[in-house]
Amino acid sequence: MIATQSDPVIRVAGLTKTYPGSRHPAVDRLNLEVTGGLIFGLLGPNGAGKTTTISIVCTLLRPDTGRVEVLGQEVLSKAGMIRRSIGLVPQEIALYPTLTIRENLCYFARVLGVEKKRLSARVGACLDLTGLADLADRRVDRCSGGMKRRANLAVGILHEPQILLLDEPTVGIDAQSRNLILEQLRELNRQGMTLLYTTHYMREAEDLCDEIAVIDSGRVVVQGAPRQLIGANPACENLEDLFLALTGKALRE
Amino acid sequence: MHLLTHIRKELLLLSRDRAGLLVLFVMPVLLVLVLTLVQDNVFRATGETATRALFINLDEGSQGEDLKQGLQSTGVLDLVEDFSGDMIEQEVARQLIFRGDYQFAIIVPADFSTVVAAAAEAAARSALRGDEVGFDPGVLTIYFDPAVRGVYRTAVSSSVQRGLLGVAMASRSEALMRLLSRDLQDNIDEQLKPYGATGMVNVELPELAEDWMTPPLIELAEESAAPRKFPTMPTSVQQNVPAWTLFGMFFIVIPLAGTMIRERQDSTLTRLLTMPVSIAGLLGGKVVAYLLICLLQFMLMLLVGRVFLPLLGTPQLDMGTSPAALVLIAVTSALAACGYGMLVGVMARSFDQAAIFGSVSVVIAAALGGVMVPVYMMPQVMQSISIISPLGWGLEAFLDIFVRGGDLLSVLPQVLTLSGFFLLCMLIAALVFRRWRQGA
Repeated sequence: MIATQSDPVIRVAGLTKTYPGSRHPAVDRLNLEVTGGLIFGLLGPNGAGKTTTISIVCTLLRPDTGRVEVLGQEVLSKAGMIRRSIGLVPQEIALYPTLTIRENLCYFARVLGVEKKRLSARVGACLDLTGLADLADRRVDRCSGGMKRRANLAVGILHEPQILLLDEPTVGIDAQSRNLILEQLRELNRQGMTLLYTTHYMREAEDLCDEIAVIDSGRVVVQGAPRQLIGANPACENLEDLFLALTGKALRE
Repeated sequence: MHLLTHIRKELLLLSRDRAGLLVLFVMPVLLVLVLTLVQDNVFRATGETATRALFINLDEGSQGEDLKQGLQSTGVLDLVEDFSGDMIEQEVARQLIFRGDYQFAIIVPADFSTVVAAAAEAAARSALRGDEVGFDPGVLTIYFDPAVRGVYRTAVSSSVQRGLLGVAMASRSEALMRLLSRDLQDNIDEQLKPYGATGMVNVELPELAEDWMTPPLIELAEESAAPRKFPTMPTSVQQNVPAWTLFGMFFIVIPLAGTMIRERQDSTLTRLLTMPVSIAGLLGGKVVAYLLICLLQFMLMLLVGRVFLPLLGTPQLDMGTSPAALVLIAVTSALAACGYGMLVGVMARSFDQAAIFGSVSVVIAAALGGVMVPVYMMPQVMQSISIISPLGWGLEAFLDIFVRGGDLLSVLPQVLTLSGFFLLCMLIAALVFRRWRQGA
């Protein structure tokens, strides 16, 4: 399953998901295609359906209707196969707080099936990439927010997935840590990894993403390269202006 | 299946959880030590050894001393007559009881011998001659600590009553012999008088041996009402060590369920569910890791029962004659505890919920299962209900090995029940995990 630059590695068609007890669908007949080798930004206000979409793509949630394919495999019937090819960096710091960063990485690497002889090298490489090599033996609960975010990212790339799904990977950290993480994401992309990530930081998305989709109320409002989309709206100077123009200024959830 | 990976991670997490380790190891050790020692004293006070009681003998005659000898010969009471080297006075005895230093004081009045002799004389005269001679019975006072339980008080009263009965019997027979001899002589003299034989016949009754009343005519045989179930009662060590070990094992619910809830709350479970891991591996890793902890607990408790408790004066834990059965019960009890922990872990929605529900349910199951009060001491209704407690199944099996010389075959029903409970809990936990895995 080697994806080329032009192949869509994620295909979402007519995706709908309504949570129990909710009157409105979180995702409403959503259509989306993510081309291989790109950094694809999924933007939208709170409650727009970003996390729900990512959760379905990474096999955590079952869609009500619609079809989702990852690397040509349907998520419901080929979940096991898809899990080997994707990496997830969730919004929360999904690490064991009382274990050290290295212990966390070693555990998840074994779970992900990294071979024993490669394990140490892979953990070392991920620590180097995220700038955590010197802090690897520190317990997670004694790390700063930025270190935790980087460790969170390091776990997601341990098995060198073809697709990395990132749900707001830079939320709540300082500018230095954010800058470092964005650099690391660019480096991963240069190595051939497709990135699908969500963020609320429009400047970040504008700088990083090859392509974006703005979604609101569970539907794609607009999709394309950031520069092209901004250029097509003369009233907007940047992505944030465009985002507010598309989704409105009213407060959300 | 990465089973070893999961086991290693769980053990690593536990090793960093000091509060959890405290709950798992220190708490059951303290419970076993404290409760065994406390209950050992109760066992001693209720029959295993003599009860200490103050004995204030104010009697000017010999009957008070006879009563003392009689009470001591039963072995039920250990009579104390002096305090710090001084003879105890009646008022001091009352204060010692009130302070709780002693639970009983027996006060023999100064006229005890006189009153007993007079009463015996009157009774014998009444029996031989039909005289209606009235007498005032003497009073022997026992001071009780008001906190002493009714059953205990009755047991001591009964021992003193028996002592008094012995004294009364001896006095009566002595008076009877004396009067009978005199009356017979008078009777013979009177009947032979017309024949001029006065003073010629000397009547001598055979002298009775002093202990002719001592051997019981009918012996009292004490027998268990349920000999099959409780042919032998456990000692406090045999009861408490397995009981509180099981209690400690089942408290694994809190750290185990806590780990599972934390995994859900900090999204590590979410991350794991997006990885190519099997549910069996995830659950199996936890079970094996915590099973090892439970077995460590078990060995520590046996060590306490075999080594530490005897140092504090209790009997040594007798572990029976079937080590294989013992290991099997320990493993299945530990599995049942782990299974229950997994069940609470998947059902509870927060750590607080798991901690409160887990601990309360374990305490209830422990109470029902005979951990706090032995099942044979419960009312019949509670004995019937106790069969639903997994701790009760484990305890019953342990007691079978420790007390009744049980073996693999005799503990098989409990082993199967504990295994069934474990499998049921795991099945439910696996189904819930499967739902999560499928994104439901």
